[in-house]
Amino acid sequence: MSAVATTPPEMKRGPRNIDDLIANVSASRLSTWSQCRLKFYFRYILGLHKPKSAALHVGSSVHAVLKFWNKARWRGEKSSLKQLHDVYSSSWGDEQEKQPVEWEAGEEDAERKVGWRLLETYFRESSIQPDEKPEGVEVTVEADLSRHGLPKLIGIIDLVRPGQSTGMGGRIVDFKSSGKTPDPEQAGHLNEIQTTSYSVLYRASTSKVESGIELHHLVKTKNPKLVVSTFEPATENQRTRLFRYLESYVSGLQRKDWIPSPGFQCAACEFYRDCRRWH
Amino acid sequence: MAIKLIANYAKRLGLPGYSSHQFSVSVETELHDVTDIAGESAKLYDTLQKAVDEQIQATGFVPPDTYGMNGASSDHRNGNGQTTNGNGHRPNGEGTPITSKQLDLIKKVCRENNVNKDEVERLSMDMFGIGVSKTNRMQASNLIDALFDQYGRKNGNGHRGKYQQQEQARA
Repeated sequence: MSAVATTPPEMKRGPRNIDDLIANVSASRLSTWSQCRLKFYFRYILGLHKPKSAALHVGSSVHAVLKFWNKARWRGEKSSLKQLHDVYSSSWGDEQEKQPVEWEAGEEDAERKVGWRLLETYFRESSIQPDEKPEGVEVTVEADLSRHGLPKLIGIIDLVRPGQSTGMGGRIVDFKSSGKTPDPEQAGHLNEIQTTSYSVLYRASTSKVESGIELHHLVKTKNPKLVVSTFEPATENQRTRLFRYLESYVSGLQRKDWIPSPGFQCAACEFYRDCRRWH
Repeated sequence: MAIKLIANYAKRLGLPGYSSHQFSVSVETELHDVTDIAGESAKLYDTLQKAVDEQIQATGFVPPDTYGMNGASSDHRNGNGQTTNGNGHRPNGEGTPITSKQLDLIKKVCRENNVNKDEVERLSMDMFGIGVSKTNRMQASNLIDALFDQYGRKNGNGHRGKYQQQEQARA
């Protein structure tokens, strides 16, 4: 394939070695691979790194507050709205320092308000009680799948809620912020790689079967809302599907198969221009 | 001069639980009629295929659904759904035990920060209601995070680099 190199050097995260990418796989990497192999090539092999979007900035700051809130419950502490707002403000600043967003006039203030309104909605509507002690928070886990001839699966689970009774597996939770209300039926399909990966990771790290999986969507509509999609524990078929994705990932990387997958998702792809130059 | 015909037939079949098995048979024979290589080859193919098909029907050990899932195997569970070791005792509070790498990392953080072992035990009790050695891998991972939160993350220890990288990738 031909060179794409139009991205300025300061935007490069650095290329990654194919062997390393094959050795450890995360759900997000696998999702990118299944979405578009050329996008994967730009992001992970070439290490092209585009400026952070406003939506991602809001999402990261919101995520930081939820992490704080979950950890506080673990310590048995109740968080006041003021405390949470302070965490939000400082996280907003940290994110901006780490990876600045090029805001337009007035945009930053507006987006900051959107994020905080999302959090207010979440704390008002969430079914998680202030005294619910998590089983795990932002926990890094891995599953050695070498017996299946597959790479090591790695991941970070946002939250594991306790099982309803002693000995029962916990409920795996992933927080998502989005601009659109998710379709309940499609949410399972679109997030299956992630949810099944988390199930495999959870079982490998605890020897327990999760009692369910929840996606908590914080939706940035005019009136923010919380939509929770709940799923049963991953089935054997879903696990096999995930393994097939992993198999395709490994063989595709070994073949250096970077063929693009044009579709509706291209409209929001940060590598659209790079893709158009590819041949 | 003798002319040899070398043939190999292999078959791989999928089995439940994302497993598979394969069998192959190879022969090396002398060609009696060099003008009929195609005919000899077809005969060999038929013979080898039959031989493989007959044998491959014996699947032998077929792994259960949770085979290879770090101890989550259903054949290691007792009637209460609890994981047991060979003696029928639970090796840990919650199954898949803390790894030696995780334990080493906890010790390293303690050593570098002059943290008393009792403090870590207390932290583990507060978080999970069990001591460090009884934690499972997920709990141990969260315990390590809590230690890092409390005592700071040392750059360059190499242990958490891949996760930090992954965190970035997720974003």
